[in-house]
Amino acid sequence: MTIRIQVERAWGEPVGGEALVMREGFSPRYDLDRTTGIISRIGHSAEGESLKGKVLFIPTVKGGVAGGWAFLDILEKGYAPAAFVFGKINPVMVQGAVLAGIPIMSGWSPDAGPAVRNGDFVRLDPSARTIEVQERRRQ
Amino acid sequence: MNTGTLQLTPEEQAMLQGEQGPAVQQALRYQIEVGTFFGATRMVPVTNAHFMGDIEVMGDAGLAHLQAMAGHGAHCRVDTSTNARCMDFAAAGCLGQDADEVEKERKVIRILRDMRMVTTDTCINYQTVYQPKLGEHVAWGDTGTVIYANSVFGARSNFESGNAGLSAALTGRTPAYGFHLDECRLGSIAVDIRTDLLDTADWGAVGKIVGHPNQDYFAVPVFEGVSDMPVSDALKHLGCSLASYGSMAMYHIVGVTPEAATASQAFGGRQPSQRISITRDDLEAVYASYRYVSGARNLVVFSGPQQSLLEMRTLAELFSGRKVAHGMQVFVTTNHAILADARRLGYVDALEAAGVQILDGVCFYILQRLSKIREENGWTNLVSNSAKIVNTITAHRFNTVLRRTRDCVDIACTGALK
Repeated sequence: MTIRIQVERAWGEPVGGEALVMREGFSPRYDLDRTTGIISRIGHSAEGESLKGKVLFIPTVKGGVAGGWAFLDILEKGYAPAAFVFGKINPVMVQGAVLAGIPIMSGWSPDAGPAVRNGDFVRLDPSARTIEVQERRRQ
Repeated sequence: MNTGTLQLTPEEQAMLQGEQGPAVQQALRYQIEVGTFFGATRMVPVTNAHFMGDIEVMGDAGLAHLQAMAGHGAHCRVDTSTNARCMDFAAAGCLGQDADEVEKERKVIRILRDMRMVTTDTCINYQTVYQPKLGEHVAWGDTGTVIYANSVFGARSNFESGNAGLSAALTGRTPAYGFHLDECRLGSIAVDIRTDLLDTADWGAVGKIVGHPNQDYFAVPVFEGVSDMPVSDALKHLGCSLASYGSMAMYHIVGVTPEAATASQAFGGRQPSQRISITRDDLEAVYASYRYVSGARNLVVFSGPQQSLLEMRTLAELFSGRKVAHGMQVFVTTNHAILADARRLGYVDALEAAGVQILDGVCFYILQRLSKIREENGWTNLVSNSAKIVNTITAHRFNTVLRRTRDCVDIACTGALK
């Protein structure tokens, strides 16, 4: 079964990858060990998960301007995600993603929170502002 | 040339064609990409920029980018200050920071100075460097500075992180979206304060209560019921906390901030999406929500944001004649200008006599190699009067606790984790 999600804003080249769905806001400063690419904040919904190669679905953003550099930094270190998809976004995430050349989207409809699950294969088309949830490995 | 959603002036078109050199051309191209994402239709001139970039957050890739821009002839077109750094060179060795990263950090600073930045190394530029006026457009690259600029000065800035702040410094302008536009500056959440706010930590707690459940850059809380005129340090802690927990960039306080003479001016006809009231019990519930974990060595930190001169005086008074207890370490961070004045006024002597360590030009949570330093020192609990830092430092796996200023000093000097 394929689900299609529309987004309000998008930047970057088309990309596909495995989804990692966060249940809470994200900041690369507060939540991520940038030396390993693993979510390190104690109690974060994705604690212990690696961002590497994943399409991240993140409902909201937290503060901090670290993302402006951090995405380029983790790209060079080899831990970058394939893309970012945010429910609500701030400029820092866009500024950082554009610098690093990582596709980024925001403002999803329907809500990707319940629609996408960890391990789903998703394909992003930024120019069409669409996401296709293509393969679903549901129990 | 592709200008996305933006209409450029003839001067900007010339910039984009490279007539002002490759650094300006590259900076404007980047700004067009970011501006187009948000649907900006024009660029807006800025008077001042504030650049965030230290080796810890930039990494080697960021340093290479900075070097490339320097090689392209990058030169700041407007006054540009720099944010707090990840190293105090006088303390880097003692703390156990990496020697090769120290050298890279020195290189970053040299490059920024060559670009004509004023390397103030401060996250409180709004208290010590530059105070923009009502309606003045700036491009500031630290969330605490941006929310202060928008809310308290009525100036206009988005979060301009890293390369965005640099680009604005080089082109002297920024894409006009978000808080540069009138419609984004109207209130959207009504907050009724039904308690006195007596400590900077209380203001930070209010920021957590409002920001944490409402994470939204474009949400603008409007506070009513504030009984006494809040001082700059109170507004700084409120803003830093809202920005940290809620990713928010603006607030109004009716009767206090310049775009909120009345509630109806603050909301501008917009209906608040929700109404929140905050009582004494709500504040106490914030403090009660933190739990200590067992650990022999713990920290009390006054940082995030850097301390103002008035905060330095308060700490000097509270620590005067006391000693930091066994098993506790206390760090205070501030900027070069304030440290010099605090030394002249005797505050540094009072703090150092008590065993407090002062770090210059840094913020504690952005220190290079902090996770390892925490492990090496066996630090477990981190107590602070900053609601921001107890949130921002968590990737380094500290157990954090928010307490009022006087309680923080008592905890530091007795070792009793209360």
